[in-house]
Amino acid sequence: MKGMHNKKNLGEWLVTIPPLGWLFIFFMIPTIIAITIAFRPSSPYGDIEAGWTLENFIMLFSPTYITIIWRTIWISFISTIICLFFALPTGYYMARLSQKWRQIILLLIIVPFWTNFLIRIFAWKIILNPEGILQYILISLGIISKNTMMLYRTETVILVTVYTYLPFAILPIFAAAEKFNFKLLEAAQDLGASRWESFSRIFLPNISKGLKVATFMVMIPCLGSYIIPDLVGGTNSEMIGNLIATQAFIARNIPMAAAWATVLMAMILFPMGLVISTKLLSRKMAE
Amino acid sequence: MKCRNGFSKYITIAVLIFFYLPMVIMTINSFNNSRYGVEWSGFTLAWYKQLITDPKILYTLMNSLIIGISAMVTSMVIGTLAAFAIHHYKSRIQIFHQALIFTQLGVPDILMGMSLLLFFIAIHLRLGLITIYIAHVTFCISYVSMVVLGRLQNFDFKIIEAAKDLGADWYVITRRIFLPLISPGIIAGGLLAFTLSIDDFVITFFVTGPGSSTLPIYIYSMMKHGSPAVLNALSVLFLVVTFTLVYCSQRLIAPKKTR
Amino acid sequence: MLKEMNDFLVFENISKQFGSNKVVNQVSFSISKGEVFSLIGPSGCGKTTLLRICAGLEEPDTGRLILNGVDITALPPNQRKVNTVFQNYALFPHMTVIENIAFGPKIAKWDKKKIVSEVDFFLDLIQLQEHKNKYPSQLSGGQRQRVAIARALINRPLILLLDEPLAALDLKLRQRMLVELDNIHDKIGTTFLFVTHDQGEAMSISDKIAVMNKGNIEQIGTPIEIYEAPKTSFVAAFIGDTNFFEGTVCELINNEISRIHLDGFPEITVYNDKSLRSGTKVYLSVRPEKINITRAYPAQDKPLTNILKGKVEDVIYLGSQTKFWIRVADYRLAINKQHTSFLLDEQPIKWQDDVWISWNPEHGYLLDTYAETDENLLTLPSE
Repeated sequence: MKGMHNKKNLGEWLVTIPPLGWLFIFFMIPTIIAITIAFRPSSPYGDIEAGWTLENFIMLFSPTYITIIWRTIWISFISTIICLFFALPTGYYMARLSQKWRQIILLLIIVPFWTNFLIRIFAWKIILNPEGILQYILISLGIISKNTMMLYRTETVILVTVYTYLPFAILPIFAAAEKFNFKLLEAAQDLGASRWESFSRIFLPNISKGLKVATFMVMIPCLGSYIIPDLVGGTNSEMIGNLIATQAFIARNIPMAAAWATVLMAMILFPMGLVISTKLLSRKMAE
Repeated sequence: MKCRNGFSKYITIAVLIFFYLPMVIMTINSFNNSRYGVEWSGFTLAWYKQLITDPKILYTLMNSLIIGISAMVTSMVIGTLAAFAIHHYKSRIQIFHQALIFTQLGVPDILMGMSLLLFFIAIHLRLGLITIYIAHVTFCISYVSMVVLGRLQNFDFKIIEAAKDLGADWYVITRRIFLPLISPGIIAGGLLAFTLSIDDFVITFFVTGPGSSTLPIYIYSMMKHGSPAVLNALSVLFLVVTFTLVYCSQRLIAPKKTR
Repeated sequence: MLKEMNDFLVFENISKQFGSNKVVNQVSFSISKGEVFSLIGPSGCGKTTLLRICAGLEEPDTGRLILNGVDITALPPNQRKVNTVFQNYALFPHMTVIENIAFGPKIAKWDKKKIVSEVDFFLDLIQLQEHKNKYPSQLSGGQRQRVAIARALINRPLILLLDEPLAALDLKLRQRMLVELDNIHDKIGTTFLFVTHDQGEAMSISDKIAVMNKGNIEQIGTPIEIYEAPKTSFVAAFIGDTNFFEGTVCELINNEISRIHLDGFPEITVYNDKSLRSGTKVYLSVRPEKINITRAYPAQDKPLTNILKGKVEDVIYLGSQTKFWIRVADYRLAINKQHTSFLLDEQPIKWQDDVWISWNPEHGYLLDTYAETDENLLTLPSE
């Protein structure tokens, strides 16, 4: 009996050590290193010096930096809301289509997701270019003037963010809607609910898991966004990601970059941990 | 009921137009003589010619493929082990294991790139293809294990019992029952890993070294300094490859279902 | 030799606990060669656990399992000459019907020719020759069921275990499969250990039945013994419907028949095969179909027949029979009347009619034990 128990443990260790070891060495330890470096002082040449300090975090509270933190949050928030606004009807509509059409639309939504991330951003750079086709059309329609700049604005960042992450919002909502029993909507309407009521009180609660996943899938990469503001944003649309890159590659202040990284990590992991722990807690309470 | 889906139908159509309009414009422009494509100034293949004659394209593409394929294979093996361990064993270590995978999924690219860079510097590992490979495997493991885990959760373990009951030992069960039934999940996870690896710019940007540029890194420098028309041509090639791959994979999966 | 035949498969003091939950409690019984033996009981009674122990998929905490004189308690499932038909069949979805059936023989490395001929024989037996190259997902429920049976039987197991094999089928199909199972058993002659919660299935196919409750075996016997002479209230209530009476022996009329005194009910006579003395507290069960129901005072065919007056409280007409609920004093009795005459020519008994009910002393059966907590207890003084 005892021998068998050990044998079972051996099996568990054999399959657990490669993945757990890899993630421990190349994910957990680097993360811990980054966090500890955030508490190190930096020399004017960007070297990491001995000793400990809170200097890097205190610096974060300067007004310019607070503005950037705030901007990161609201850009992510607005982009997520817009993504959900478009993803919900799309996921709903797809789930109601016949099997054949569902496959076709699904394919059409997956393909942009498979094309290169940089190329998707580049496409918008071409469209919104001052010499580009959209500018030309809008000027001839009299909607904008010749001096209007469509690139390098905060709105552009939001537009391209939505373009990039919308498939991530549609797919989980569609997956949840596909499992939804649409007869329930008929039942609700039979019981006197209006179409909007049956949608909001029956459909939405039943796909809430898909909604949550969609929110996470858009919100998290948004908060850590770096490339989009870098390529299509202006100086007024910098986000935390840009600060990390600037500190690491241009200012060469590694502890400062690490401090920013730590703040960003806290911003993401704290709400995520909160959601997971409340879920675990409620499950324990239910037991 | 169908006709009453008006609103969601129009939104879906709008979303599809939103997705494809930029790509259509890009494709047209790639054959346009004009640099920014305000107006049509004649059909040309010049941009494609310029693209093919660029030696750096082929070189960085090779780097991307080497890393993509090796990261895919490694993460398929390790990710499957992770999914199996988490699904099969209910010990405390597996809760930690799963938490690690979840957090990894939740951490933005820029953080991973940053902390891996600091780590590689700390252990004096020379930045290059090896460091890119390690970084890519690290973020691919989580995705592969999530996909395989999904497949495992739908797996009827009664079948394993049935095989045992019919005299199969663990080797036969693994080879003839478990792997054939789980392999679609592993392959799907592997494909996802390959795409993510080929696509990755941010993490690679942090851990790349001299001479180890991947295609996305080169595209980035072209976007900053190169000719937009050449990039148009490259994008169209990318789109064609993607469509063909997706189409082929669909064709490969489809006949099995109807068989 | 005879002993060996009777003790083909022996469960000896088998116990199994999951956490603090005792699922099987010191169970001992044996199965004879070639018989169809059913384990029956409500869900959670431990019947499936016993079956899994037999298959080797669970290890018992205590006790031994002896098959054909060999102790197989510690043998892993892939080395036992025992095969299982799983509840939802557990067919391999990536293999065709042929591949599924040939799985066991291929692993046992049979000769290729033998595999082909055996698979062919079983395809004939289950009448699936024309579907042999289909995948399980392309088969109907009944066809999958038959593949599962063939896949297990082809290995020539000493015992075939069937775990609720008909639960996933609809009623009509279930009845047809029962007949087919019976035919297959007649042709192959393998010993069947059949687990079900459906008493009808068990009654119709089994040579012997063991009724289980809360990890214990309440009674083992032939279907007729179990139905006609239930030992406990649980068995009486679980197998079929019944009326329960609680009273005391008040008079020993002769060697065989006693009079029973009940609270809130007239005195009744019962066949006392347990030679209980006067004053003993007893429980007895009378099956609903043993009780006659008539409008007129019934002709008394035996001297000590129980004849009582009652009022119809409920009537359910079921075609071949009618179910009545009759109020007699504090009791509400269930009665089934089988119809043998043309009902349109008669004036049937209706709701609120006054009727006579009667049953012979030997139709009541004295129970060994009675437990209030048992489910399905039909009649006892209520309100």
